[in-house]
Amino acid sequence: MSISEAMQSAARDVLASGQVQRVIGYETGPHGRVRPAIIDRPEEAERLVWSADCTHNLTVYLHRALNGENGRASREAVAPPARVAIVVKPCDSRAINVLLAEHQFSREQVFAIGMACEGMRQGAPASAPEATLQARCLRCRERVPVVHDVLLGEPPSALPEALPDEALAHVRDLPPAERAAFWLSQFDRCIRCYACRQACPMCNCPTCLFEQEDALWVGMRIAPSEKRTFHLGRALHLAGRCVGCNECERVCPMGIPIGLLNRHLAETVESLYGHRAGMQPVLSPVTGMLSAEESAP
Amino acid sequence: MKTLSRENLNLWLDGLAAQHALIAPHLEAPGVFYRPVQRAQEIAWEAGRPVLPAKEFLFPPSERLLKVEKRGPDVRLEASPSAAPQVIFGLRPCDARGIRVLDTAFVDTPPIDSRYASRRENTLLVGLACRSMGASCFCTAVGLAPDDPRDMDVMFSDRGATLAVQALTPRGEALIANLPLVEELGEVEPASRREVGGLPTAEAWKESYSDARWAKHGERCLSCRLCAYVCPTCRCYDVRDEALPSPPGEAHFERLRAWDSCMREGYRLTAGGHNPRAASGSRLRNRLLCKFVYYPHQYGPAACTGCGRCLDACPVNLDLLEIGGALQEAAQ
Amino acid sequence: MSTADGADPMYPLLGRLVSSRDMGREIKLLGVKLLNGTQPRFPAYAPGQFAFLSAFGIGEAPFGLASTTERGEVLEFAVQRLGSVTTGLHELAEGDALGVRGPLGNTFPMEAFQHKNLLVLGGGIGGAPLRPVIHSVLDHRQDYGQLTILWAARHPSLLIFRDEYESWRAAPHTELHLTVDEADAAWDHHVGLMTDLVRQVAPSAANTVAITCGPPIMIYHVDKLLSELGFAPEQRYVTLEARMHCGLGKCGRCNMGELLVCRDGPVFSMAQVGNFLESYL
Repeated sequence: MSISEAMQSAARDVLASGQVQRVIGYETGPHGRVRPAIIDRPEEAERLVWSADCTHNLTVYLHRALNGENGRASREAVAPPARVAIVVKPCDSRAINVLLAEHQFSREQVFAIGMACEGMRQGAPASAPEATLQARCLRCRERVPVVHDVLLGEPPSALPEALPDEALAHVRDLPPAERAAFWLSQFDRCIRCYACRQACPMCNCPTCLFEQEDALWVGMRIAPSEKRTFHLGRALHLAGRCVGCNECERVCPMGIPIGLLNRHLAETVESLYGHRAGMQPVLSPVTGMLSAEESAP
Repeated sequence: MKTLSRENLNLWLDGLAAQHALIAPHLEAPGVFYRPVQRAQEIAWEAGRPVLPAKEFLFPPSERLLKVEKRGPDVRLEASPSAAPQVIFGLRPCDARGIRVLDTAFVDTPPIDSRYASRRENTLLVGLACRSMGASCFCTAVGLAPDDPRDMDVMFSDRGATLAVQALTPRGEALIANLPLVEELGEVEPASRREVGGLPTAEAWKESYSDARWAKHGERCLSCRLCAYVCPTCRCYDVRDEALPSPPGEAHFERLRAWDSCMREGYRLTAGGHNPRAASGSRLRNRLLCKFVYYPHQYGPAACTGCGRCLDACPVNLDLLEIGGALQEAAQ
Repeated sequence: MSTADGADPMYPLLGRLVSSRDMGREIKLLGVKLLNGTQPRFPAYAPGQFAFLSAFGIGEAPFGLASTTERGEVLEFAVQRLGSVTTGLHELAEGDALGVRGPLGNTFPMEAFQHKNLLVLGGGIGGAPLRPVIHSVLDHRQDYGQLTILWAARHPSLLIFRDEYESWRAAPHTELHLTVDEADAAWDHHVGLMTDLVRQVAPSAANTVAITCGPPIMIYHVDKLLSELGFAPEQRYVTLEARMHCGLGKCGRCNMGELLVCRDGPVFSMAQVGNFLESYL
């Protein structure tokens, strides 16, 4: 049985048995593009696929799916599913731990179909068969999801040599003035579409600080000052929480190296605090959580 | 047909850049964009469709509507200056059609939007025909063609050493009046076109309103708004006052407008908390029906030029041709 | 700033706040007089229309015109404090400058209402755009039939125009019925929802036009009830609201299906609303 078939079978089983009411996985769309698929009937399981183009981080859907905010086109309330199954790669699975630590949902609400992963191709979700692996995959040391209720695929017996992060080393070696100039010039290309934020599983504030209607923190102008504030602010909000799925950088239409900035902060947090986001369901040491008493005015 | 040599074209473009703002396709790190250029050699000639459309030069991502100066109980208002002249060269037919579609809302339908009209009056559209259609292009599905000159002031077609030139409007004629054009025999070779079908009629889109699959399509949507930001015709905007540096004793503000999109979750949220489009499926349906039903109802043309950018940009492969095709099948 | 006709429709007229008085809990009635000088006068307007008020430095928002051209120069608006613009308007002192853009939108077809009975149903702050209808009828009393006003709010402190109820009741062939969801110690009128009050008043649909404004959910239930009581769609009018940023049919925000609330409304007959592609709810 191929891995795709094993995945379809697992999805069919958990839906048919009523263990879950929704399965979030991948399917192939027109023109051979792989994309997220959210199914709720066992007979739809045959749509699911697994390939080296399954680059999306599906955990971005978890919070919405479990709160009944998805799958609606009207104002009628729909009872949210009690439990959803989700296909996760090692990087994606770490996002589940981050979100669990932040009380976005409980462990019982998620059935993780973990995939042993050999890396995703460049150009995914519709890459040429001969395309090389993504740089982030060549650097990755994990092959097995840290959260899984079932594991599909064979983890390799030995990991290949991980590629060094040359881009990050290069930026860190720049003298401060040059490094600042590099980053600020990258942000200036931004069009404030917020696709990076919407694609990120960890960006789930009901109202984003950078989009508040009263412009208390950041204005509405699509201009350098506001763009820089947004990117630097978002990166700080992700420090110790980002799992390096690189969706932010993949979706950006302007080619801003958002993933690079997040890796810089992730490695800084790791070297200062020994914390790597999502390896365990624990809060990042740079995230504070106020108790009800503390947050009262 | 009338033609212009490449060297004469470059000389002319250099001259234009010195006189007005010249905007043309220009290669940057992530791709080709319409950008102000200083010299013809900065133009990316062999590019396909630029990553973003040209609407930002008539309808900028954010702009000042007016300036407000408060001193005590009194207020003084100051209008924004008129636009400076600009020429957009190398414009693709889908992007010129996008501008023409925006014209119908901002200029042709009263009241006239002053800021847009000021820029539009001062803009000349000089097109460069596409020789073929890209993989995601579907201009032919909306009645356009890769070499369609209709919405331009002047249209160029690249024939290698020379370019064929055609003026479409009196302003276009005036613009090329002094060019050393050469009369050549023959016709401009038409661009290679691919017929793309599958778009429902406006009536069919309208009837699809209660189709249960809108909820399903919306489930995948991230409300990221990329489709609207890369679209040549999306034009929804937000308006707000923001503080400016002020002299002592005074408070200065500017009233800004900035791009927004109906795909945003809080787009229709009122201060009282009512949000009629909280469901992502309803927002997706609204955007597509606006393109093919609502915009034509209010202003005339369908608000889609078949440029295909939304198909390329969507992170989760929401494809209006696929959605439209499925709705048509269901209707049959 | 200039266009072919020389006017920028986003450019507000300057006015001064001539009165700001509390009308209810977090509700003020603002009176605005345009500054004389080089700017044009505020055009004549009719019941149903609205205008954008600018709290300069914060922004602008649409408010139903609660006054009539006939009764004077002062433009009146009932403003409930809910967000940043309404807070800014509440914090203005009498004498402060503010901006006005309008009149915008369509009007109630007052001529078509002549010689008919009118049933006016106002819920909460929704009563504000209905006040010009009431004033027009009272000022041309003989042109209209019976006037029955049903006025509702969640709590007595949220009832608006309380100082006018006596004058409404005193007019010939005019009735006023009040209701609140939740009473206070001093309340001695009906307690219950607007729909309860409608059932109690049991209005006849014969030669009657109903005009409703209030929270969307109230409009929905009242409208259903009126239909059951025999009011045909053409006999039922509503004025709707939506978030707006231009009021001119440009910014695209206020659509309900293919209609724009700012241009095709805000006044609609239920015959139109019944064909709305998109629900106003």
